[in-house]
Amino acid sequence: MSEMTAGNRRLSARSKARLGFFARYATIIGLVAMIVLFSVLSPKAFPTVLNFTNVLNQASLTMIIAAGLTMAVIVGELDLSIGFAASLHGILVTGLIVSNELPIPVAIVIVIGAGALVGLLNGLVVTKLKVNSVIATLGVGTILTGLAFAYSAGVPIVRGVPDAFLDISLGRWVFGIPNNILIMASVVAFLWLLVERTSIGQEIQAVGGNPAAARLAGISVDRIKILGFIISGMCAALTGILLASRLGSGTASAADSYLLTAFAAVFLGSATLRDGEFHIVGTIIGALIIAFGFNGLNIFGAPTFSQYVLQGAILIIAVGLSSLGRSIAES
Amino acid sequence: MMFDKQDALAENDAELQPFLDAKDIVKSYGGVQALKGVSLALRAGEVHGLVGANGAGKSTFIKILAGLTRADSGDLWIDGEDVVVMTPHHAAELGMNFIHQELAFIPDMTVMENIMLGLPKKTRLGLVDWKAIAANIQPVAERVGLKVPLTAKAKTLSTAEIWLVNICRALVRKARLIVMDEPTASLSASEAERLFAIIEDLSRSGVAVLYVSHRLDEILRLCHRVTAFRDGAAVARFEGDGLTRPALVEAIVGGDLHPIPADKRVNHDLGTVALTVRGVARLPMVKGVDFDLHHGEVLGIGGLVGAGRSELARLIYGVDRVDAGEMKLKGQPFAPRSPSEAVKAGLGLVPEERRSEALLLTKSVAFNMQLSNLAGIVRNPVLPLIDRNRRRSQTEAVVRDLAVKTPGIETPVGQLSGGNQQKVVIGRWLLRRPGVLILDEPTRGVDVGARGEIHRLIRDLAAQGMAVLVISSEPDELPDLCDRVLVMVEGRIARELHGDHLNRNAIIQASYAHAS
Repeated sequence: MSEMTAGNRRLSARSKARLGFFARYATIIGLVAMIVLFSVLSPKAFPTVLNFTNVLNQASLTMIIAAGLTMAVIVGELDLSIGFAASLHGILVTGLIVSNELPIPVAIVIVIGAGALVGLLNGLVVTKLKVNSVIATLGVGTILTGLAFAYSAGVPIVRGVPDAFLDISLGRWVFGIPNNILIMASVVAFLWLLVERTSIGQEIQAVGGNPAAARLAGISVDRIKILGFIISGMCAALTGILLASRLGSGTASAADSYLLTAFAAVFLGSATLRDGEFHIVGTIIGALIIAFGFNGLNIFGAPTFSQYVLQGAILIIAVGLSSLGRSIAES
Repeated sequence: MMFDKQDALAENDAELQPFLDAKDIVKSYGGVQALKGVSLALRAGEVHGLVGANGAGKSTFIKILAGLTRADSGDLWIDGEDVVVMTPHHAAELGMNFIHQELAFIPDMTVMENIMLGLPKKTRLGLVDWKAIAANIQPVAERVGLKVPLTAKAKTLSTAEIWLVNICRALVRKARLIVMDEPTASLSASEAERLFAIIEDLSRSGVAVLYVSHRLDEILRLCHRVTAFRDGAAVARFEGDGLTRPALVEAIVGGDLHPIPADKRVNHDLGTVALTVRGVARLPMVKGVDFDLHHGEVLGIGGLVGAGRSELARLIYGVDRVDAGEMKLKGQPFAPRSPSEAVKAGLGLVPEERRSEALLLTKSVAFNMQLSNLAGIVRNPVLPLIDRNRRRSQTEAVVRDLAVKTPGIETPVGQLSGGNQQKVVIGRWLLRRPGVLILDEPTRGVDVGARGEIHRLIRDLAAQGMAVLVISSEPDELPDLCDRVLVMVEGRIARELHGDHLNRNAIIQASYAHAS
């Protein structure tokens, strides 16, 4: 058989090890290098507790939606509906509070339930109708955008949003730490535990890693995939709620741009520490890179267009690193 | 209509040198001789049968002809010229075409595009002139009886039509020899008839056919001459009156043939019935299977590749749904709709393709081994946190019991040897302890030492009361391992062997039995 594989490019053990190290630690080294660089260039504005807290506070929403997306990609699917879903849920939660005068906790619970429903819908379309997840979630996401415009009639819900609702995102209820950071930390900790330390998490990893083997091992592959979409949908809903609370309004398409940022974070993360495998800790590191990168650009007053260029470049580099890691793991 | 085999050949017989003349071809893979100096000659217009049990060396021989691998020594003469086939493309240039069991075609391309794939195409003004090409192909298509339009997408075609497309392709390439590997395996009876007529037509027009098949009836009917391979050697050649079924079977099996007496139930001690299978069918591969599997028994299923054995396992394990028939598990009706239902009901499967169907190669030994046993290592079912101590101690115990050679339980399973990977898959079911365990080709790609260990392990599991079903294409494997062996032929159980009648030769002989 050696003749038949001789044509394949084989990496030597040493260059493989070196490449593997590079791929695994490139993101972390990049993050540290960036923080050092910005600190040297702007010692007064950048390396301060205030700035770091701000960066983390702003990144919290990205981290929550990206952690949710991580669950969808770990089970081997993509969820492109999350940005649109978050926008809709932001409008929905303000609408329920302002127009329907529901108590805030009730409105939040309803909206997170709606997020789970959107995830369930995505999951059913993908597993039962066998629609490719890119198409399925793009379709569902577009429908959600339509619903968002229908619900808000295209006009942002601004008036009558109670301060108590704004306080969720803006408050610092425990030890002066911004609520966003605490909420993000709990979500991330919960999902990390779920994936890494529970039996469901083992099944989730198995389904993403080799669906055929998972199925023959007796795992209900469809159920696990649907669960991945549901968690992704709930995280998108939570992000939408927190964004509405931060903006003080429900606006159609307010959260749409989270989609690309979340993808960049997830793929950067998959290139981190593990060879091209998606995981929660990686996603958080990916999100930090993006957050500090944009923060640095802001501090140096870089023009708006450069942020788009950076975002696109990060996405491409992230996916490239991720597939490099995978090909090394498989070679 | 009878095809007069001898006449067609006689015309060419005297004056022509062989189109293909392979002499003393030797090929080894890592110290194992796959071909020990085989010779085979083929004249233009000859339909030459190639028979032999699994592993006799047929595939290796064809790979050498096709330029997929090179012979270590020996000569290959084509049209009187000494050649070494370098690549599949080179093989085509030499006039040889290959139609494999797994048909190669591109579903989203048209019939015409598939036929012309990889061939230089007539162009007009730099654009492919499909009209001119169609005009060229149409007569060929008509000749082989391909009735679909040339512009139809290949994915809309039946298997038989794809076969015809492949033959068209060979003819457009001006093939002088077409090698067909198990051509009728996925064809219906009437489709096969059509194929036979085409082969006869090809033969009359001077195209040689090397017909590789386990189906001796077809070999007897179509072939002018037949070569039998056994253990890497061409052990016999048949033509004319010498070409008979018993002679072929004897050559394939080797050694003495004893008539197998009718089944007589020896009063050996079978445990209680674990699994009852009655009339289970899913066409076209499984056509109605009955058997009982007992606790404490290792039951083998032998037969040729394509006899429907793995497909039967998939039915029992809920991967595919049965069309007809019923099963009982410990007396209860059993109709799993998915593997997960089968596992919950107490089944386990060690699949045929270890790397793609059983393991996650980048995950650890512990991860892979615990995959079907997760409920057994959680702290409590509501909050399913894994008890990491229990996970480690359980995994380590199985690694020790099975003597899995691994640096540790967190080592990625992809870094282990094939035999040790297989032990990890078996270890998975040791942890789960299903009542019924199905193993599909449990020792494929496993070295001799590990093979013995895996066999001992399977016996141990049965001794502990598990009901074990072992599928194997190697007739050598089953007699030592199994209490009883069922031989499957074309989707049915052709024979049950046990006791003194359970031996390698009996299994091979039964594998070539007429389909009932």
